Amino acid sequence: MSGLCGADTPVREKRKARLADGKARSIAAAITHVFRILGATLQEVFDESAYRRFLVRGNLRSSCRAYAMFLKENEQARSRRPRCC
Amino acid sequence: MPKILRILLWITISLLGAFALATIALHRGEQINALWLVVAAVATYAVGYRFYSAFISAKVLGLDPNRATPAERFDNGRDFVPTNKWVVFGHHFAAIAGPGPLVGPVLAAQFGYLPGTLWIISGAVLGGCVQDFVILLFSVRRDGKSLTEMAKSEIGRVGGIVAYIAVLSIIVILLGATALIVVNALKSSPWGTFTIAMTMPIAVLMGVYLRRIRPGKVLETSLLGFVLVVAAIFGGQWVSQTPSWAAIFTLTAPTLAILIIIYGFAASTLPVWLLLAPRDYLSTFVKLGTISLLALGIVALRPSLHMPPLTRFADGSGPVFAGTIFPFAFITIACGAISGFHSLISSGTTPKLIRRETETRFVGYGGMLAESMVAIMAMIAASVLQPGIYFAVNSPAGIVGQAPEAAAATISAWGFPVTAAQMAALAHAVGEQTLFNRTGGAPAFAVGMAQIFSNSLGGQAVMALWYHFAIMFEALFILTIIDAGTRVGRFMLQDALGHIWKPLGRTSWYPSILFTSAVIVAAWGNFLWQGIKDPLGGINSLWPLFGICNQLLATVALCVATTIIVKMACVKTGGSSADGAAMAPTQMGRIRYVLITLIPLCWLVAVTFTASWHKVLDSNPRVGFLAHANQLAKAGANPRLIFNDRLDAAVTALLVVMVAMILIESALECTRIISGTKLAQTKETPYVMTRLAIEEHS
Repeated sequence: MSGLCGADTPVREKRKARLADGKARSIAAAITHVFRILGATLQEVFDESAYRRFLVRGNLRSSCRAYAMFLKENEQARSRRPRCC
Repeated sequence: MPKILRILLWITISLLGAFALATIALHRGEQINALWLVVAAVATYAVGYRFYSAFISAKVLGLDPNRATPAERFDNGRDFVPTNKWVVFGHHFAAIAGPGPLVGPVLAAQFGYLPGTLWIISGAVLGGCVQDFVILLFSVRRDGKSLTEMAKSEIGRVGGIVAYIAVLSIIVILLGATALIVVNALKSSPWGTFTIAMTMPIAVLMGVYLRRIRPGKVLETSLLGFVLVVAAIFGGQWVSQTPSWAAIFTLTAPTLAILIIIYGFAASTLPVWLLLAPRDYLSTFVKLGTISLLALGIVALRPSLHMPPLTRFADGSGPVFAGTIFPFAFITIACGAISGFHSLISSGTTPKLIRRETETRFVGYGGMLAESMVAIMAMIAASVLQPGIYFAVNSPAGIVGQAPEAAAATISAWGFPVTAAQMAALAHAVGEQTLFNRTGGAPAFAVGMAQIFSNSLGGQAVMALWYHFAIMFEALFILTIIDAGTRVGRFMLQDALGHIWKPLGRTSWYPSILFTSAVIVAAWGNFLWQGIKDPLGGINSLWPLFGICNQLLATVALCVATTIIVKMACVKTGGSSADGAAMAPTQMGRIRYVLITLIPLCWLVAVTFTASWHKVLDSNPRVGFLAHANQLAKAGANPRLIFNDRLDAAVTALLVVMVAMILIESALECTRIISGTKLAQTKETPYVMTRLAIEEHS
C-alpha cells in the first residue's frame, strides 16, 4: 500500500525499521532489567547473596565447609529474625 | 510526561477509586464483581502513596538523600549491606507477609465484605503504612535500633520494659492462636495431615542437600522442596483414599495439638540449618508463588461476591466470633490494615539494608500497601463463597450444633440457606469428610481459593487438589511462624533471664536452651490447649486476644513515633528551651504534623481499650471472659476451662495497663517538650554525608 501511494521511500522505511528495532531493543532491555531485579530479590530473600558476600569477605571458594561456616555465622541473626503474623 | 497530563492522570485515578468505593459501599441486593474491590484498593493505594507518603516524606520527616544510612556507614557485608530498593522491598515484604492478612479478613467477613474492606484500605493508607514507614526511618536514623531500644531511649525506661513485655506476649498469643488454626484445618483430615507431615522430612532433606550436596544453592533447593511438597499433595490424595493409611493420618484435635507442641520444642532446640532455615525458605517460596497466583487468578477470573456487604451479625451476635463491628472488626483484621508486629521487622533487618534514606518511603509505605492488597484478596476469597457455606465452615459446633442437619437448619434460619447435602457434596469435592465446624479461617479461605481456581484451571475435577494446596500453603506458613517465633521468644527470655543468672543468658548453653524453649512452648501450648477445649471453638477468644495484643504493640510503636516527631518539630525550629520559654508560632505550626501518627494512635487506643473492656468485663458470656467464666462456674464445668477464661482476662487487663503506662509517659514527655520545660533531644546518630551521591554524580 505504501509503495502504491509512494508515501514511504526506502529511507523512510529504513528509519521506521530502525525505530521499531530501537523500541524492541528498549522493551527487551526493560524486561531483562525487571528479571534481573527479580532474580536479585530472590537471591537476597533466599540468602544466596549473603552467602556470596560471605565468600568474598573471607576470600573463600564455595564448599560444604564454607557453607557450614556461613550457617554458623548467621545462626544467631537468623534465629532472632521475627517472622510476621 | 507533561504536567497537565500528570494532573489529569491523577484526577482520573482518584475518581476511579472514589467511584469503585462508592459502588462497593452503596450496592445493595445484587452481587458485585470482585474487581470493584481490587480497583478501589489499587486506586486508593496509588493516591495514598503518591500524595500522602510524599507529604510525610517532605514535610514531616524531611527525608534526606544525602544523609548516609547505617547500611552505608557500617557496611560489613553481613548485617549491614546497602541494597537495591527493589530487593529490600522484596525482602521486607517476604518478612511481613504471614497468615494474618489471610485469616483476619476471612473471619471479619461474617460482618459482610464492606466493613472489613473499608478498614483494610483506610487503615493501611492512614495507619499501617505510616507506622511501618516512620518506624523504618527512625530506626535507620538510629543505626538500625529495635523498637524496644527506641522506646527506651526516646520515651523512657517504662517504655522499654512495656515494649519488651508486649512483644513477648504477642509472640506467645500469636503462636497459640495460629497453632489452633492449623489444628482446626487438619483435624480429621488425613490428606491435609499427611501433606503437612511430609513437609518435615522434606525440610530436613533440603537442609542436608543444602549443606552436603549443593552448598548455598537455596533457590534450587527450594524449587526441589516445592516439587516434593506438590508430590506430597498428590500422595495425600492416595492416603485419604486408602483406608489403612487414612486411619493413621486421621487425627483428633488434641493429638494434633500435642504433635505441634512437640514440633515447636524440637524446632527451637535443633540446629537452625537442619529444620528452621529450610522450612523458612520453602515457606517463603510457596508464599510468594501462591500470593502472585491468587492475584493473577482474581484479576483474570473476576469472580462475583456472594456475601452481602453487611450481614445481620453487625449487631455482635456473629457465630464466627462474638462482638459488634466496633471495635471487633478492627482488631480481627490487624495485619492487612495495621499491625504492631510490622514495627519489629521495620526496626529489625530492613533498616540495615536501606541504601538511601529516601528509599524508606518505597520500602516501608509501599511494602505495607502490598500486604494490604493480600488482605483484600483474602476478603475476596471469603466473599466468593455462598454465605451459607461460609457460616457452615466457620461456625463452631457449640453455636450451630454438631449434627449436619441441625447446623444447616440453624444457618438457614439466619437467612443464609445451606443444606447438609450441599455441604456433603462440597466436602466430597475437596476430599474432606466434613466441612462443618472448621473454624479458624484457613479452611474457608482454602475453599474460596479452590473455587476461584477450579473455575478455570482444571475445573471441579481438581478442586480437591487446589483446596489441599491452599491448606498446605497456610499450614506451612503457620508452622514456620511457630518454629521461628518459639526461637525468637526463647532468645528474648534468655536475654531477660541473663540479668538474673548469667548462664541462663548464654544462648549456646544447652540447659538454658532446653529450659527457655520449654517455658515458651508451655506458654503458647497452654493457649493452644485452651483453644481446642473451648466449647465456643477457641478462635472466639484467642483471635480477639491476639488482635488486641497486636494492636497494642502498634499503639506502642505509634507512641514512639509521635514522641520522636514532637521532638523533631521542636528541634528543627530552634528547639524548645530548657528555661521554660514558650514555643514560637512557627513551632506550633510544625507541631501539627504530629497528627499523622497521633490520629492513628488515638484510633487504636479507642479500638484496643474498648475491645479489651468488652473482652474482660462484658456481661455477654460469648464476649466477656469473666462472664463466660461465671457461666461455666454456675454450670459446674471443668475448673480448667474457668481458669483459662480468667487467665485471658488477666492477660488482657495487664497488657492494657502497661500500654496505658507508656501512653502516659509519652504524653508527659511530649507536654514537657512542647511547654519548654525539657530540651527536645532526639537520639538520632549525627549527620554524615553519603558517599553514594558523590559516586553517582562522578
